[in-house]
Amino acid sequence: MSTGFLTVVRRELRRLTSRPIYFVGIVLVPVVMAFFFVGMLDPGLPLKVPAGVVDLDHSQMSRRLTRSLDAMELIDVVETPMGYHDAMNAVQSGRIMGFFMIPEGFEKDAVSGRGPQLTYYFNLSIYVPGSLMFKGFKTMGVTAAGGLVQTEMLEKGAPEALAGVVLQPLTVNSHPLHNPWLNYSYYLSPSFLYGVLELMIFLMTAFAITQEIKNATSPQWLAAARGRTATALLGKLLPQTVIFTILGWGINSLLFHWNHFPMNGQEWWMVIGMLLFVAASQSFAVAVCAILPNPRLALSVCSLVGILAFSLAAFSFPVEAMYGAIAIFSYILPVRWYFLIYADIALDGWAVYYARMYFVALLVFPIVATLLAPLMKRSLRKPVYVP
Amino acid sequence: MKGFVIDLKEWLSETARIFRHEMSLVFSDVGVILFFFFLPTAYPIVYSLIYNTEVTRDMPVAVVDNSRTALSREFARHADATEAIKICGYAADMQEAKQWMAEKKCFGILEIPADYTRKLGRAEQPQVQFYSEMSLLLRYRTFSSSIADLQIATGAQLRQMTLDDLGMPSTGETTTIGSVGFALGDTQQGFASFIIPGIVVLILQQSMILGIVLLGGTRAEQRRRLRGSLPPESDAMSPSAQIFGRAFCYTILYIPLAIYILHYVLHFFHYPHEGEVIDYILFILPMLLATAMLGQTLNIMATERESAFIIVVFTSVAFLFLSGLTWPRYAMGNFLSLLGDIVPATWGVEGFVRINSDGAPLGLEPRPWYWLWGLTLVYTATAYLVARWQTRRS
Repeated sequence: MSTGFLTVVRRELRRLTSRPIYFVGIVLVPVVMAFFFVGMLDPGLPLKVPAGVVDLDHSQMSRRLTRSLDAMELIDVVETPMGYHDAMNAVQSGRIMGFFMIPEGFEKDAVSGRGPQLTYYFNLSIYVPGSLMFKGFKTMGVTAAGGLVQTEMLEKGAPEALAGVVLQPLTVNSHPLHNPWLNYSYYLSPSFLYGVLELMIFLMTAFAITQEIKNATSPQWLAAARGRTATALLGKLLPQTVIFTILGWGINSLLFHWNHFPMNGQEWWMVIGMLLFVAASQSFAVAVCAILPNPRLALSVCSLVGILAFSLAAFSFPVEAMYGAIAIFSYILPVRWYFLIYADIALDGWAVYYARMYFVALLVFPIVATLLAPLMKRSLRKPVYVP
Repeated sequence: MKGFVIDLKEWLSETARIFRHEMSLVFSDVGVILFFFFLPTAYPIVYSLIYNTEVTRDMPVAVVDNSRTALSREFARHADATEAIKICGYAADMQEAKQWMAEKKCFGILEIPADYTRKLGRAEQPQVQFYSEMSLLLRYRTFSSSIADLQIATGAQLRQMTLDDLGMPSTGETTTIGSVGFALGDTQQGFASFIIPGIVVLILQQSMILGIVLLGGTRAEQRRRLRGSLPPESDAMSPSAQIFGRAFCYTILYIPLAIYILHYVLHFFHYPHEGEVIDYILFILPMLLATAMLGQTLNIMATERESAFIIVVFTSVAFLFLSGLTWPRYAMGNFLSLLGDIVPATWGVEGFVRINSDGAPLGLEPRPWYWLWGLTLVYTATAYLVARWQTRRS
């Protein structure tokens, strides 16, 4: 057994170094993408959303409001359009993401208690900055109102403390646990990096296996493993397991150590989980190749699933809100389980006990692959290449 | 120089022959049919089905009510009535609530302080705490907007109570400054309505590049097998006839697909769909041309059929980011924003979203359109160089 295994490993190492495409797919793409994402999302939140203020009042109060808007960290007032139509044009042409409108006679109406209405428009066709802008505008709307009512109550002779309470009888403090900065990168970077890793593992595993069928070298491969499919597969995939796992650990240290992503739990579990995640992704591709022993079909399915994983694995849109028939597909994706391990262990810092089922889920993939692998034997013995 | 137009008539007939030959190649290759037709037809529907529920609501929240009074229970009931929150149970203390959160039984904890009612009675401000689990940002976003509504609604009710108790004249609604917000573009504030109009443009580009690189890989394999002598429809023609013949073939095949994706898909699923048909068809034309030429440029890396998967598929993820859909382009560094500039889909997404979701006419902000024509020119030149190099080598 062991000699056959080592022969396959040596044979595979020669194959991996024989063509640049293996280096590109296994090392270059994951590494480049890792630096790409972490570099891109470095600021955490795209603050200073470009905004416009339509000031139809031109009073002292309206100018003060404009200045306070500009001073917010979320908003950058870059334009002061003359009216609604101008502002709308600026939104449509993409110069600003939304605008705040101060009506004519605002100061006069506010002082005389006629209840003027502030309006604001925010463009959600780009979601994240649109949401941030909404938050900034809404806050400004409420505080502007509050400030004025307080002044008025004080003028009517209410004690200062009471005025504050009447204005806001209770406060609800929101605590975004473990991510008080609402750093968007904490979700995007890991999910996309693990997703890219999974995609490349899918592709390179399927590529390495089906190349043997395409070039009719699979009988030779099987012979090197003394005719045992399991030995052949293990020997072939082990070098990739090692490289991808090391890359995965590299990605994690890029996140947690260089970029100080939160690591509130025991990092060891992330390290072990990475190994299981790589093995699970390889197993997924083995299962696909066992069912479809054809380069084009196997790679098509792997690409299809690998790309859909970015949406289906629910890093941004929760599974429980999807249609049931769609949501079940997220359970067959290794990356979903690893992301849940990240959220549980690293982000939330729960004990590993609560994440145990995710580890079990990752272990199911190799078992399924082992059960399906014998299906491959016939096409390995008599390789037929269908382009 | 064989590549230059010596005789226009001959060049046109060469181009026409390449065009016809490429058409027949496309339809005789199952892999290409899969990429060119199945992918753009099915993917938008799959994505729509994933995101079509648009919002997440009624997420389980545990209540830790340390006050246990009529008023605190009323507050919990108000919380339950908001869009985001569904009270899943009363936990005895914070410890139990945290346990529930770890077991994923709840995504939030609402903690009402012991002095809630007493403070309200004394006209002091009670502090209610809300803890949100943060494994998904969308959950927090939904929670926080419901919490704001809850605070304003309960606040208004309590204010009236206090003023009545004090016997002060009600200041009422009239004296406050009202403020009201309107969402533009994605007026339903849904997730699908935001992401689908952008993603479909990217699908157009990526599926076309995949198909082109697959065809290119097949040609490279053929060349190797036949030791360089390809059938006359491929390598004997001038390089410019080759790239234009093929580009026209791909573009013409993609026009009906573009109409299906950009019009019918968005229409069926009731996504934002404001612009004029003529505007976005005119707009997407240079993107298709630029993509056809970009694909032929990338053929330099296609040494076999399967290369397409390894060198093209992962770029979809990078291009999605560069397009600025998830992370706005104004917040990117110079290098990344430059990288985004040279991808046709970046301008495709930006321009299409403006026309489709924001209802801007094409003429209002033609910058993306000009960029797409510019990219068409650049990639035509690079595709020409690649074709010339490949033809000479064989």
